[in-house]
Amino acid sequence: MRLVLTSDDRIGVERDGGIVDVSAAFEDIRYRTSADRMPRVLATFLDRRARVEELAASGETFSAPGLQAPVPRPPKLIAAFGNYLEGINRERQTQDMFLESPDSVIGPGGTVILPNHPATIFHHEAELALIIGRRAKDLPADASALDVLAGYSCGIDVSARGMGRMGPSRMGKSFDTFTPLGPAIVTTYEVPDPQNLRITMKVNGELRQDYSTSDMEYSVIEVLSFITGYMTLVPGDVLICGTNHQGLGAMQDGDQLEMEIERVGKLEVTVSDPQKREWPRGIDQETAARQRAVGAAQS
Amino acid sequence: MRIATFGDGKIGVVGNDETVVDVSDLLQKYDPLGPEDLLPDLITHLAELRPELDSRVATGGGVPVADAQLHSPLTRPSKIICLIGNYREGTDRPIQILDIFFKSPEGITGHGDTAVLPPHQADIFHHEAEIAVVVGRESKDLSEDEAMDAIFGYTCYNDVSARGLGRTGINSFLGKSFDTFAGFGPWIVTSDEIPDPQVLHITVDVNGERRQDYSTADMERPIKELMTYISSIMTLHPGDVICCGTNHQGLGSMQDGDDVTTTVEGIGSFTLHTRDEHAREWKRGIDEEMARRVRETGTGREMPAPSSGRPA
Repeated sequence: MRLVLTSDDRIGVERDGGIVDVSAAFEDIRYRTSADRMPRVLATFLDRRARVEELAASGETFSAPGLQAPVPRPPKLIAAFGNYLEGINRERQTQDMFLESPDSVIGPGGTVILPNHPATIFHHEAELALIIGRRAKDLPADASALDVLAGYSCGIDVSARGMGRMGPSRMGKSFDTFTPLGPAIVTTYEVPDPQNLRITMKVNGELRQDYSTSDMEYSVIEVLSFITGYMTLVPGDVLICGTNHQGLGAMQDGDQLEMEIERVGKLEVTVSDPQKREWPRGIDQETAARQRAVGAAQS
Repeated sequence: MRIATFGDGKIGVVGNDETVVDVSDLLQKYDPLGPEDLLPDLITHLAELRPELDSRVATGGGVPVADAQLHSPLTRPSKIICLIGNYREGTDRPIQILDIFFKSPEGITGHGDTAVLPPHQADIFHHEAEIAVVVGRESKDLSEDEAMDAIFGYTCYNDVSARGLGRTGINSFLGKSFDTFAGFGPWIVTSDEIPDPQVLHITVDVNGERRQDYSTADMERPIKELMTYISSIMTLHPGDVICCGTNHQGLGSMQDGDDVTTTVEGIGSFTLHTRDEHAREWKRGIDEEMARRVRETGTGREMPAPSSGRPA
């Protein structure tokens, strides 16, 4: 099942090329805005799946005017560092994560706005996104950990480089509009093996990132077990699983980004830079080489 | 005005007689979805509510603070934004670049609660006393003139920090995001009662022994600049909190059984208990090595030397 949030605030399920309104399954849930609604919806979603499926099978399809991010403002937005071997035969590095501003999320068809800050470059990082459906702490590192997932989605961790104090500052990833998310929450049974998914990023039709989740250093299960050793996850939390830096490139004014994860979907956004800055187009080979060198040095 | 959270999720105003007067019922008209909406609603509608709040406090009938079961005054902020460093610490080094990280809002804990040390193999668990700014309105790209007006109030913060976890070669802050590691208390003091937040004395006492002892006058980037800069990056919401960083001179370990009292002049004091099922022990008193390293290099354990600019 592929759950979406339409731009006119209907909760829908994709079927036969259209969308079926399944809002009736959640009509008892009070909310003020779509941002605070979806975490509450997702807190009930796994237990109401049969009812949602029934509505999705029987309802009329409609054509939505557009989609919002399936979680417009997650309670927490958690991002993994690196987390791909990137073609280097090396030991796994220590697992690590950080939090980003939940206000950075935008939806499909949205616009990433590059801020007037002196970043050295703005990179796209295509990532597998996990959408949490149950409260969780101290999950074991086995397949049962996946039971807390409402599903998977596509996430782009837009990154302003060269900001902050020292080392890889995370601040440059938390600008408003810097985390496109969507288009749908794809339930786990549509994705039997999350460690065998091809992820691609195209910019203006040109292929940049092209990697498989089989290269992940720490699997989705290990990521969930690790982070819940630190903090409680709550419904609606979003965890982006890290990226393969081979294939990163600049984002600049007017760029059309098209990210795709096999079985999960395609997420398209545009880029606006009021300052009209320019960087070399194509893959950032210097960042790719540096990342390989760091990986090799630590092996 | 002092705003507290107490009992079973009630919100109250602390009167001059040191009692907490329940005002939760005055907030029902905003149709809260849960207790987590009470504080943002009070913040958003303060001007309209103020006469009713004042009259309620004047009427009295509150619960003495000591009996009120205070909780963290912040129930569930959408963001806990923390400054890295941000104090000169007695050095004359140039002002460093402003940088921030986020702390898990699931870590919120309050006066009388317990910070539970996890079994993870941290080098040490430190207290970090800070002044925290509570945002008063939705804000983006605040001008210098608007910055201080966007503040609702101030509270005391203990940024409990596990050191030495995470990946080497990067400045990991995940050791600050364990559940129970974000201590706030005892209440929020509205900004009209703090005419100058850059002259406040901050202390930490662990089991009665003085550890941190510094002034907000030593802050590298004053609160006004934090508000303008951070709002140039992200939208701030009522009830979001900006923790202004700490002076590392005077940090020390938190270990099983410790009572850690954080005090900010003009705001108040709150105490976190500490529990460690593994009963690990560290040297007691001030961590002089950490203090020296921060003085000499401007970096602590969580801030290694500048790296290659490697992306995350």
